Amino acid sequence: MTILWTKPEISRREFFEKCAEAGAKTFVFGGLVVTTANLLLAQDPPDARARAEGAPAKGTNVPIYGFVVDTTKCIGCGSCVRACRDENNVPDGFTRTWVEQYTFFPNGEIIVNSPNGGADGFGEDIPNRNMPEELGQLPVRGFFVPKLCNHCINTPCIQVCPVGASYVTKEGVVLIDQERCVGCGYCVQACPFGSRYINPQTNTADKCTWCYHRITKGMLPACVQACPAKARIFGNVSDPNSEISQILANNRVQVLKSYLGTNPRTRYIGLDSEVI
Amino acid sequence: MNSAKHFIRLLALLAIAAAAFFIVRSRVVPADFGKLGHFRASAIADAAAREPRHLGSAACAECHSDISGPWSKGKHTVPQCENCHGPGMLHVKVVSEDSVDAYPDPIKKNKNALRPTTGIRECEWCHLKTFERPSILKSITSVGEHITAMGGTFTPTSKCTDCHNPHTTAVK
Repeated sequence: MTILWTKPEISRREFFEKCAEAGAKTFVFGGLVVTTANLLLAQDPPDARARAEGAPAKGTNVPIYGFVVDTTKCIGCGSCVRACRDENNVPDGFTRTWVEQYTFFPNGEIIVNSPNGGADGFGEDIPNRNMPEELGQLPVRGFFVPKLCNHCINTPCIQVCPVGASYVTKEGVVLIDQERCVGCGYCVQACPFGSRYINPQTNTADKCTWCYHRITKGMLPACVQACPAKARIFGNVSDPNSEISQILANNRVQVLKSYLGTNPRTRYIGLDSEVI
Repeated sequence: MNSAKHFIRLLALLAIAAAAFFIVRSRVVPADFGKLGHFRASAIADAAAREPRHLGSAACAECHSDISGPWSKGKHTVPQCENCHGPGMLHVKVVSEDSVDAYPDPIKKNKNALRPTTGIRECEWCHLKTFERPSILKSITSVGEHITAMGGTFTPTSKCTDCHNPHTTAVK
């Protein structure tokens, strides 16, 4: 011991180099060990898979919420967008839910329009709507597609949050902790559906919550209540007798961007292959 | 033996750094963080606590039975009161003289804290003909054409509600 301390066998320079090397190794391999341990140990609880599929969690009566958008029924009135803005204080220029207008022309051209998210309605006087004349042809096909947060089961947005401000509740609703969010905007970039935005009033991320403050009180989301065409259906998918379960059982449903594997809980009826 | 001092100093520094880390961490990370997952568990209650603003047409009928009565018997029962008039919660609070300070919403500046109606824009949201709109509704190409076709005279101040009762759709 004494010899080792009194008579260094390495130079000062070598000592610091070794220290740096050891530190770097600890950092890299320690990180690997922690990551591996997290992956191996923090497996989902046994019923997580069942819950993700919409089955009720064992031993609980927690509802699992789902949302169906029937694009064949949407009349593009924008009631949902206005109701959402009023209910959730969405600032001007942003939308938690919006309606897209798809117009197809014979030459294969597709015009997608969503002026002010559809909050002012759609009509002949909306800009870009005079495109048929410019093209010299009349549209052949058209429909409206309401969009909102898909409340994915495999959420890209929660994964990237560096402060744990984004989370999913036991009912399957993806929410943002407004106190915790630092407004870095990673989740806005990560969401492939453009559902998130940075609220300029709070400087935090914001998005559709399926009106969590309403559904936990037994009410419907504001957009669902406002929809006059019954194009939006919300309910408990773990109850086989609920309206949404019946609709899911009797319709062919599709999700947006299924190839991304995010497994959205928002399902679409009559979704066209051209809808992105 | 002098070098042992270096070792002790290093250990002391490490201990201080570790203590500082845990003190700062305990102050910065909320107590219930990680209880249900990698988030603050009480955030769920915070999200659920917000007050709903759309109350539904049944709530409107409690005071406005003179309008909701004919409305419920008419042909226009699909759109609810709040579709055109805006959310009712603020209106109820303003009328009952509750505090509305917590609402930084432009709607509260409006008369009765409801959305002002124009009698034409609200109708056009659903009844203006566009190519993409499913033809399940009665729709018109433009208000001017419709008035002319019905034998009226279109002026810039013409409104749908000049002829139609918006609550029952009955023609006056």
